[in-house]
Amino acid sequence: MLLEVFLVLGTLLIYFLFSKKKEEMLPFKDGWWGKGQKPVTKEDSSIRPFKVETTEEELSDLFRRLDQARFTEPLENSCFHYGTNSVHLRRVVSYWKNQFNWKKQVEVLNKYPQFKTKIQGIDIHFVHVKPPRLPEGRAAKPLLMVHGWPGSFYEFYKIIPLLTDPASHGLADEHIFEVICPSIPGYGFSEAPHKKDFNSVSAASVFYELMLRLGFNEFYTQGGDCGWLICTNLAQIAPNHVKGLHLNMVLVSKLGLTQLLSVLLGRYFPGLFGFQDEDVRRMFPFLKKGLYKILSEFGYAHIQATKPDTVGCGLNDSPVGLAAYILEKFSSWTDMEFQNLEDGGLERKFSLDDLLTNIMIYWVSGCIVSSMRFYKENLGKGIGTQKHEKLTVQVPTGIASFPNEILHTPQAWAKKKYTNIVSFHFMPRGGHFAAFEEPELLAKDILQFVDKVEKEQLWKKKGE
Amino acid sequence: MSSALSPRKRHCGRERGGGEAGIVSALAERPGKGEQTDMWREMLPSARESILSQIRSFEYSQKNAALVSAAALGLGGMLLYWLRSGRKIKTIDMGDGWWGSGERPLKGKEDASIRPFRIETSDKEIEDLHRRLDQFRFTPHVEGAAFHYGFNSSYLRKVVAYWRNQFDWRKQVEELNKYPHFHTTIEGIDIHFIHVKPSYVPHGRAVQPLLMVHGWPGSFYEFYKIIPLLTEPAKHSLNEGDVVFEVICPSIPGYGFSEAPHQREFDSIATARIFHKLMNRLGFKEYYLQGGDWGSRITTNMAQMLPQSVKGLHLNLVFIARQGLGKLIRTVLGAYVPWLVGFSKEDARRFYPFMQKNVYDVLRESGYLHIQATKPDTAGCGLNDSPVGLAAYILEKFSTWTDKSFLYKDDGGLESKYSLDELLTNVMIYWVTSSIVSSMRYYKENFSKDPDLSAHNRVGVYVPTGIAAFPQEIVHVPRVWAKDVYKNIISYSYMPRGGHFAAFEEPRLLAQDIMQFVRKVEQL
Repeated sequence: MLLEVFLVLGTLLIYFLFSKKKEEMLPFKDGWWGKGQKPVTKEDSSIRPFKVETTEEELSDLFRRLDQARFTEPLENSCFHYGTNSVHLRRVVSYWKNQFNWKKQVEVLNKYPQFKTKIQGIDIHFVHVKPPRLPEGRAAKPLLMVHGWPGSFYEFYKIIPLLTDPASHGLADEHIFEVICPSIPGYGFSEAPHKKDFNSVSAASVFYELMLRLGFNEFYTQGGDCGWLICTNLAQIAPNHVKGLHLNMVLVSKLGLTQLLSVLLGRYFPGLFGFQDEDVRRMFPFLKKGLYKILSEFGYAHIQATKPDTVGCGLNDSPVGLAAYILEKFSSWTDMEFQNLEDGGLERKFSLDDLLTNIMIYWVSGCIVSSMRFYKENLGKGIGTQKHEKLTVQVPTGIASFPNEILHTPQAWAKKKYTNIVSFHFMPRGGHFAAFEEPELLAKDILQFVDKVEKEQLWKKKGE
Repeated sequence: MSSALSPRKRHCGRERGGGEAGIVSALAERPGKGEQTDMWREMLPSARESILSQIRSFEYSQKNAALVSAAALGLGGMLLYWLRSGRKIKTIDMGDGWWGSGERPLKGKEDASIRPFRIETSDKEIEDLHRRLDQFRFTPHVEGAAFHYGFNSSYLRKVVAYWRNQFDWRKQVEELNKYPHFHTTIEGIDIHFIHVKPSYVPHGRAVQPLLMVHGWPGSFYEFYKIIPLLTEPAKHSLNEGDVVFEVICPSIPGYGFSEAPHQREFDSIATARIFHKLMNRLGFKEYYLQGGDWGSRITTNMAQMLPQSVKGLHLNLVFIARQGLGKLIRTVLGAYVPWLVGFSKEDARRFYPFMQKNVYDVLRESGYLHIQATKPDTAGCGLNDSPVGLAAYILEKFSTWTDKSFLYKDDGGLESKYSLDELLTNVMIYWVTSSIVSSMRYYKENFSKDPDLSAHNRVGVYVPTGIAAFPQEIVHVPRVWAKDVYKNIISYSYMPRGGHFAAFEEPRLLAQDIMQFVRKVEQL
């Protein structure tokens, strides 16, 4: 019996030793996502300025729907445990109708220059902010920042000035950026793909084309949530163009024997598995912080990955339903403890104006269904089955690990995929929507990461 | 021989030696086989003698008396317990509950009246519905989507057009009112039910009470086609012997016209208890139960709770929650040698390929279950506000759970088995009662607890059980697995066609199976 056990363990060991993740490049994914057949003529590659607009009709339609909203009373003492509490939702809707000023918010959205350009058959929307002033002889570093679900380009509005004009905000200004925030196709003002199979690699390919079209040969990229996946793919497609990859969220899809063992024993022998004290604090007890959390928080991902058109249908018709669905995430993904509060802790970290502006982007563009389809295109065939999940990333990577992120990935696990982690920091506070909630912390981490990458490059150059 | 006596007895110094030693020595001699019977005949009187002498020689003392009485009590108690537990079947505790708002009133008895009820509608209700249908915001689907991404929005547009222009809710309300409806308050909430008695009972025929429980996203309305087949079988050329029913179809609290619980933790066991109380209030002591989907779980709980009241349990869906290593092994083996693990050919055909039918298909179809079991208030919010969203959500299930191949059709195959009128009537029940959120909460209340701890899985079902296994049911459960929970399966039928909504889709087939099952039980 013992012999068999050793044989099995031995085989597994040998298998793991020899199955190194491949270092190949992920191929660029060309596609055509427009309606019908791809036209023979060349695509219009002009970059057209864009401004968000609204009309009286749009507003009165919204108000009519808010007025006719049908609420269901929550169970006694349920707070946010059953989802968004409708008593609090009523208050939000009242603010939405009476105090929220969409016209004013549209002006806020338009304060940064926005553009649209057609790539692979669909209109891609993006914000492009250049530094207001550049000291003599200095060049701005291009930085592509990609949002996630249920966020939007608007999440970056507070962090953009910290990166384009760090000096005015008390930050070290050795590195100044020009920031490009696109909307993922199917989100906000980017056109939704009309064909199947538009996944994260497709999005990365589209954004790669975008950066080339804007004239950038080398750039940095930053992302969390879906943005994490897209930026990772971008680094895998074009490692020679991506100078550095900064992430505020990392998920590992390949869980092998080592990970399983570290889950079982990591609490008792952290050093053995490369865990730091903070890793242990954030990950254990694993059932509560890992497995049960996945079960209790990922229902939305399960239904979106299987029946997006069904679940999104009602949300595109009921702004209150849409708000409930989206706000729930801004509550629990900012801090799981917020579920115990009657108001879901929503206004502790965000203003209602900011939260509703993000929701309005989904509402006025009617994009909730297509935003959900992204889950099906990425997860529909199963987790861990796609090619890009099996490839590693060699581009210099910086990870900002926020304490209230949905799941914590220790550096020991991340480095199996990201082979060149230049910086990994435990952030002192903040959750999933890092740029929205803690723009200064995130900006600082990005700056120090870029600094490291630039210095390393200099040494390499000097060495040659 | 004295060594056979316990040291304690020797220390007591009592002169028991004679009698006991006598028995022991007699037994110690091992006679030949042929002589054994004679030996016993001889031994008995001497044994009796020795016991009697022992009793006589027993000295009376207080210590003795205490010891003896304690021993007698102990022995007697143990005997009693053993006798009772051997006979008594383990049941689920009935318990009690209060689901009204606020605190349970301490004084006063609950109003136990049964009040007739009629469904009503108004111009206002219909206008509001029409306005919402008119303002529906439609999202185009990707090319070639069929029903793979969920409800196809092009087909949805057609459904909405019919709903707006041809569906007649007033007429459907009249249709709903053709059976008598009632309300009664139990455990603080109003329970809605329909009660249909046969209009004509042939002389000498007994009428069997039958409680039929719906599921999600269904309602009492699912039984409208099968009720006449059960209350008046002869009229519909269904003469399966002597069985005639009076049918009671309640609405699960939180569904349709039953009030939603105001307190947390309202699960299938609470529902089972309430339905028992309902039957009791209607004057029934023994009755039959039928159910699918949640109805299956609720009626199973009812049979586990009060088996003496349940004459028979008929199911068109079997919930199996406990997965053990044994089951896993049987699953793997069953693919190659089905007969070895007790699978029939039909079982194998319906059950395999395992990964496809039981893992992938289930994962693909259970997103709704996952979100409803965790965030029901979020999931249902928009659906209570957008009737089109509600229809898409509910009708998607009527498509895929009727036939998996319907995923490939642009119209989801809905109208090949149902009429739009009946599909929309069921949706309207959720809409006019605003019950979608409370219906979803039922998932959270039932799935939140660790399945291994739930009573449902630990207690067996001993009442006569009949199972109708429909081919297009989401997951097929072979008889040999059902036996793990249902210990007394009287009939197990492989139905020739039909899916999850058996009563709605194949009322005749289901009625026939119920009747043959009840006939078998009555003959037991």
